[in-house]
Amino acid sequence: MKKVDLIGIGMTKFGKHSDKTSRDLLVEATREAITSVDKGIDLKEDIKGLFVGYFTPSFYEHQGHSGPLITEWLGLTGIPAFRTESACASASAALATGYFAVASGMYDVVMVAGVEKMTTLDTPGVTDALSIAADDVFELGTGITFPGLFALMAQEYFEKYGGNWEDLQAVTLKNHHNGSFNPKAQFRAKISAIAEKIAIKKGVTFKDEMDFLKSKYNALVAYPLHLFDCSPISDGASVAFLASREISSRFTDNPLHITGVGLSTDTLTVAGRPDLTTSEATVNAAVAAYKMAGVTPNDIDITEVHDCFTINEVILSEALGFFKKGEGLKAAKEGRTSLSGDKPINTDGGLKSKGHPVGATGIAMVHEIWEQLRGEAGGRQIKDEPKIGLTCNVGGSTASSMVFIFERGEK
Amino acid sequence: MLTVQNYIDSLKNGKILGSKCKKCGNRMIPLKPVCSKCGSFDVEEFETKGKGIIRSFTIIFVAPEKFKDEVPYVVALIELDEGGSVMGRLIGVDPYRSEDIVIGTKVKFEVLVKDEEIITAFKIDK
Repeated sequence: MKKVDLIGIGMTKFGKHSDKTSRDLLVEATREAITSVDKGIDLKEDIKGLFVGYFTPSFYEHQGHSGPLITEWLGLTGIPAFRTESACASASAALATGYFAVASGMYDVVMVAGVEKMTTLDTPGVTDALSIAADDVFELGTGITFPGLFALMAQEYFEKYGGNWEDLQAVTLKNHHNGSFNPKAQFRAKISAIAEKIAIKKGVTFKDEMDFLKSKYNALVAYPLHLFDCSPISDGASVAFLASREISSRFTDNPLHITGVGLSTDTLTVAGRPDLTTSEATVNAAVAAYKMAGVTPNDIDITEVHDCFTINEVILSEALGFFKKGEGLKAAKEGRTSLSGDKPINTDGGLKSKGHPVGATGIAMVHEIWEQLRGEAGGRQIKDEPKIGLTCNVGGSTASSMVFIFERGEK
Repeated sequence: MLTVQNYIDSLKNGKILGSKCKKCGNRMIPLKPVCSKCGSFDVEEFETKGKGIIRSFTIIFVAPEKFKDEVPYVVALIELDEGGSVMGRLIGVDPYRSEDIVIGTKVKFEVLVKDEEIITAFKIDK
């Protein structure tokens, strides 16, 4: 098997792009990814295959067949290209496919991408589109929603290990704090700044951040989860280039080595799982990725996890082996996952503040690892020159989990 | 018959179906056509009693289009007496009083019909 390097990456700002379609967003992200390749890349010359994650283009843009669409739009007609779908892990599915393609020796350089153009629909429409990531026959018919599925997990977590909704707000506050330093973030604002804005607009006052989070302006979505426990509806795209390590120096002397890949599944039905306080798929994916990379959870300097809902950041931080079962919530409260903590998580603001165009998220997570490991993360750069980073992108209610480990190459 | 349609038809008759592996005895609820433990296709269906306890619950305030007019409503995970869990609507409780809904409370299966569609539901078993 050939070794695989990440040689360049780019993404659009996440948020509402009312004047752009998914293909416009992909072109924008590709343009940025090209400029990130230190020694340059010629798409027409170098790219041998393209894999693009997009969860539900049929809902948002009445469009399928993303492969030839995007190759035509990038002047790459002729190369092999197809869409990968694994719900919110669709971009990681593209990344995994690209990894397989290069590792197998089939292609030496490939492009992997992710996109979702969600704001064409209203909130009930988006709720419907997202819901097909869950089991339509056995669960959706009850009226459950995605926030509802994660609310069931939160309830079981509190029942088993203690803690409450208020404790979970450590994740909300931290991720909005981190996002305030990220120019790509949809909500580039701390909760205090958001609260202040609403206070002025509505002519009310809040004692502090928690007073705001407990107010009617943070409405219940699915008890016990409120609006600010949920990632937003977003448009955005992300693009990365992978090359065989044998030739990656043609493109950069500062690549990231992809040293670990772990992929796993859980039951699609949440009811099918014996324990909702963990993500079995993530435990399995992480074990496989650590083994492949020859590292342990202690070696990971920087981590991006799928905080589609606050509780999931806690559950995943335990499933990845950073904290013992039942201790992730406490660790978040103690600041251990903050920018200056011993286990920084979601330094880019996470899905919560950065935004979550679902099909683009997996590669956007890698974008943060790229910037952090190369020392390019600006105001949110973590100290002590991080060397090893991990991304954990999940699909649906963690029925798919994909873990990648990256190591900084030689300078 | 270990089909989805058979499962739904049985719900209409008030029964939640599970399946049992003839080879290793593993029970699966709701029914599955292949044993999740030993991989055998030699499985048979069985009827559960439709009784169990509340394992977890949530109260939905933002619903999909189809259920918009029903909010707030309660959805729960029910652990059946035979083992295994199913998801269902919890009826006969006040969705504005979350503190009154207690994990571990005994419930029993009840069929709810909306626009000719079956909704798996449970109510408190007194």
